[in-house]
Amino acid sequence: MTTMTGIPLYECDLFSDEAILDPYPHYAALREAGPIVLSTAHEVYAVPRYEAARAALAASDILVSGYGTGLNELVNTVAGENTLNSDGALHEHLRKVLSRDLAPKSLREITAGVQAQADALVDGLLSRRSFDAVADLAHALPLKVVPDLIGWPTEGRSRLLPFAAAAFDGFGPNDRAIQALPAVGEMFEYVAELAQSRSLAPGSMGANILAAEDAGEISSAQCPMLLADLLAPSLDTTISAISSAVLLFATFPDQWRLVRENPELIPAAVNEVVRLESPVRLFSRFAVQDWTFDGFTVPGGSRALVMYGAANRDERRYPDPDSFDVTRDNADHLGFGYGVHGCVGQGLARLEVHSLLRSLASRVASFEAGEPTWQVNNIVRSLSSLPVTIRPADR
Amino acid sequence: MRIEAEIGRCEGHGMCAHVAPEVYALDDEGEVVLLHPDVPPELAAKAEAGARACPIAVLKVIR
Repeated sequence: MTTMTGIPLYECDLFSDEAILDPYPHYAALREAGPIVLSTAHEVYAVPRYEAARAALAASDILVSGYGTGLNELVNTVAGENTLNSDGALHEHLRKVLSRDLAPKSLREITAGVQAQADALVDGLLSRRSFDAVADLAHALPLKVVPDLIGWPTEGRSRLLPFAAAAFDGFGPNDRAIQALPAVGEMFEYVAELAQSRSLAPGSMGANILAAEDAGEISSAQCPMLLADLLAPSLDTTISAISSAVLLFATFPDQWRLVRENPELIPAAVNEVVRLESPVRLFSRFAVQDWTFDGFTVPGGSRALVMYGAANRDERRYPDPDSFDVTRDNADHLGFGYGVHGCVGQGLARLEVHSLLRSLASRVASFEAGEPTWQVNNIVRSLSSLPVTIRPADR
Repeated sequence: MRIEAEIGRCEGHGMCAHVAPEVYALDDEGEVVLLHPDVPPELAAKAEAGARACPIAVLKVIR
């Protein structure tokens, strides 16, 4: 079935528990249907194929972020001036303030420290042999590194992960999103209070956001929004990539052998993890005018749903897309988004995951995984637990 | 074929240099340097792959 303009229709709920836990059959069906598919359940034009998704993200002047990037009107109207939900010169300006500290060059001075923390963490796990790869490994490094870097007060850090999960759930089109909104409100209260009381650690990224306000670079309304931009996406996403990496290397032991023998493959391996189990599954854009790709049109005034997780498994771009291959030509994946809104924190995420994989590659011969459990979140695909037993390498 | 870089937006993610070190490098400031702004034919495919790998679309291929 198609619309009157020839756009194929897809009826399934893409955000049911079942679809979230096992999204890939839906992604395959959507890609098969066309480059632009009307999701009737969510009244949004899905963009599930690679080239179309990449083009949609590049068309940031037509498929805009300033009317929100979520799938419910509440979240799309309450979002203020942050980098996620702005366009053009305003977006470029706000992003500059964030990217000064997040650009890989600025991270050089912490690189050795992060590697030392990763080494210490893995050394501790070696003696345990069996542990939960999510709680004990994937949570551990980001929670050691990121909150200090941003400068959150020590008190209350246990709220960061629930805030982040709620922030992502809040983008969805369903009751799960509406139920998350009170916690999203609390997150904004938290950053507003910190902006008010100036209580971010001296010298931290957060303190530099406060300094940008003092210098008149950003307004007092934008300041807490940029703090929220640092908070919400900085943990869950990296945690997802680390835990998926362990599951994938347990499932494909030949790929772990390759990485151990050729540690220079680690950057490509991280790209491959993010391609295959893209932590951020999708975001939406608002079409301020018709946007056409390959003869299919997202009508002006409607919403597009750019499906990173589906695009990254497009057989038209990646041969044998469901296989995990660390030697694959994969650097152009869309797991961090693409274009002017491409993930500003990807350098930090890469630094954390590279460090951990380097630690593991020199110390762990193989992983044996038990039954994985996936979390149910509207946007982020992530394991919630993964029992794993490691075989230490001969050293 | 030429490569154009919107230098002001480069954040130094380095994917271009990772994919095509013959064509792209990062300077001490972490910004992209085009080693061959006018790309010789034998490096065209590499240059294009490196440009595609830029996660924030700073690099443009001009034919």
